[in-house]
Amino acid sequence: MSIFERTESPPAPPEKPPTVVTTTRKTRGLSPAERSKRRAGWLMVAPAALHIGIWTLIPVIATFYLSFTDYDVFSSPNWIWFDNYVETFQDPVFVKSIWNTIWYTFWTVPVSMAVAVVVAVALNQGLRLQRFYRTAFFLPQVTATVAIAMVWLWIFNPQYGLLNGILEFFGLPGKAWLVDPDTAMWSVIIVGAWQGIGIKMLIYIAALQNIDNSLYEAASLDGASAVRKFFSITLPMLKPATFFVFIISIIGAFQVFDQIYVLTDGGPANATTMMTYEVYRSAFQEFRMGMAAAQSVVLFAFLLVMTLISRRATREED
Amino acid sequence: MTIPTARAIVIGGPAREGKPGAWYRRRSTHNSIILNAFLMLGAITMLTPFVWMVLTSLKSPAELAQFPPTFLPEEWVWSNYTEALNAAPFGLYFRNSLIIAVSHTIITILMGAMAGYALARIYFRGREFVFLAFVAMLMIPTYTKIVPQFLMVKFMPLFGGNDIMGQGGTGWLDTWWALIIPGGLSAASIFLFRQFYLSLPKELEEAARVDGLNEFRIFAQIYTPLIKPAIATVGLLTFQESWNNFLWPLLVTRSEDLRVIQVGLAVFQQLDNTQWQYLMAGTTLATVPMVLLFIFAQKYFIQGFTHAGIK
Repeated sequence: MSIFERTESPPAPPEKPPTVVTTTRKTRGLSPAERSKRRAGWLMVAPAALHIGIWTLIPVIATFYLSFTDYDVFSSPNWIWFDNYVETFQDPVFVKSIWNTIWYTFWTVPVSMAVAVVVAVALNQGLRLQRFYRTAFFLPQVTATVAIAMVWLWIFNPQYGLLNGILEFFGLPGKAWLVDPDTAMWSVIIVGAWQGIGIKMLIYIAALQNIDNSLYEAASLDGASAVRKFFSITLPMLKPATFFVFIISIIGAFQVFDQIYVLTDGGPANATTMMTYEVYRSAFQEFRMGMAAAQSVVLFAFLLVMTLISRRATREED
Repeated sequence: MTIPTARAIVIGGPAREGKPGAWYRRRSTHNSIILNAFLMLGAITMLTPFVWMVLTSLKSPAELAQFPPTFLPEEWVWSNYTEALNAAPFGLYFRNSLIIAVSHTIITILMGAMAGYALARIYFRGREFVFLAFVAMLMIPTYTKIVPQFLMVKFMPLFGGNDIMGQGGTGWLDTWWALIIPGGLSAASIFLFRQFYLSLPKELEEAARVDGLNEFRIFAQIYTPLIKPAIATVGLLTFQESWNNFLWPLLVTRSEDLRVIQVGLAVFQQLDNTQWQYLMAGTTLATVPMVLLFIFAQKYFIQGFTHAGIK
């Protein structure tokens, strides 16, 4: 658990090491006070453990089980081994959704990270309006994706939308942004990148506070320009933060759903459908629960690989 | 919230308010004008959709049918808001969202703080195992549990006409239970609370034990009052996530009486001939609480987001 080490103090040593005895009466020999303390510990964890056990642990196990069945809600499940997986990888729409998800991630994550790091550095200069700027960049993160996607839907409106209005002002032709297969994905990417800047900026700002000022002072004495300092000091010092932001952004981007639902419904011609969207369709439009479970396991496998890479890399950082 | 350790990995210490770098102070005003221009341009880009939302909500239908669009409304139609409330029960949706978000916040704070405290400060057998199990559960993405969660809600025994085997009825579907219980607690909040309780000194509990307080009173009267900022942080994050949640309420409710505001917006938009001025009025209603909360409690939000990584 290397990623947790820094903030976690070592576990309190037990008054009696509970190591050797494995019979049912492990609390024998403890003082009554100690025994009631331990019982209190269990009682306090129990409600949360029960809740997480029922609503997270059981569903995860059930997802894996269902993925090997043909369950459809109406009749009882039959065990069909890997048929769902084979079928879903032969389904051109699901394969397309994997590529769409990767494409969406490939653009939203680096673009919003690049903007975020530049903004974070600019905000770290102690400008008088920095609080206002920070609020502006962070606002899309706290407001509901559905609500802001609704506004973007209106901005992208081909007949009356703001975006085409601005293009018209510059004498450029308007587009049917979300209807045209060539532009629909880019429109979704714009919204995703726009919304994702805030959280990345915030993590960068926190990381910037930890860079030693003497580095910059030494560089100034050597006559380094601001641009040079940014590339030679700031970016290298931000490497751990960058890695962390990168991983959580990928994990977030892989789970994009709300704005697809509002903006394009996966269309036109599946141009913007995502893995999450295919899970939703299989489960709640076709009621193929087994298939949906298999697809969500595929999504989970992608995320697990990302998480494992991040764990390994952070361990190396330490 | 996928990985709750941004701060642990990236920095380790508590956040400080943006402190100007010393190397900058010698900079000329010339540079700060460029910086300000750049940031102002960025801020305007970020805020444009919000401004456009409010301006659209105040225009007449005739004005919305103009191209190119006007920027400021020619006539400020404030009555759009009262009419929007008649066009769709946005007030009811708003109330439903509020009930759910408040319930989730209360459940999370009560159960999360208790569990976090026990995991941080009381030794009991199996504690490490329970903690690791919570951490593992925290990594589980929504889509890996949503199908069985839906089925569990549908087949909830003895509810909604179901028999003891969960057959025959609709279970918790279309009930407050489904909206409030499954999403009531996240493993991430337990993890955050544990971190906060770990940061407090041990001497307090020893003194309290000498005074004869039991564990529950030490938790409730000694330690918890010391982590009020943490409660605010976790509470606000929970509230925000719950208020903004879309997929789960979409799946488990049908009736209008239980519809939350995010789903209400989506349903209203899908009607034929979307009335944009009303839709934007509704969207403003759905957005304003979070914007206000964020502006007035920015400190806690920022602490929470840098702690919690991502929503």
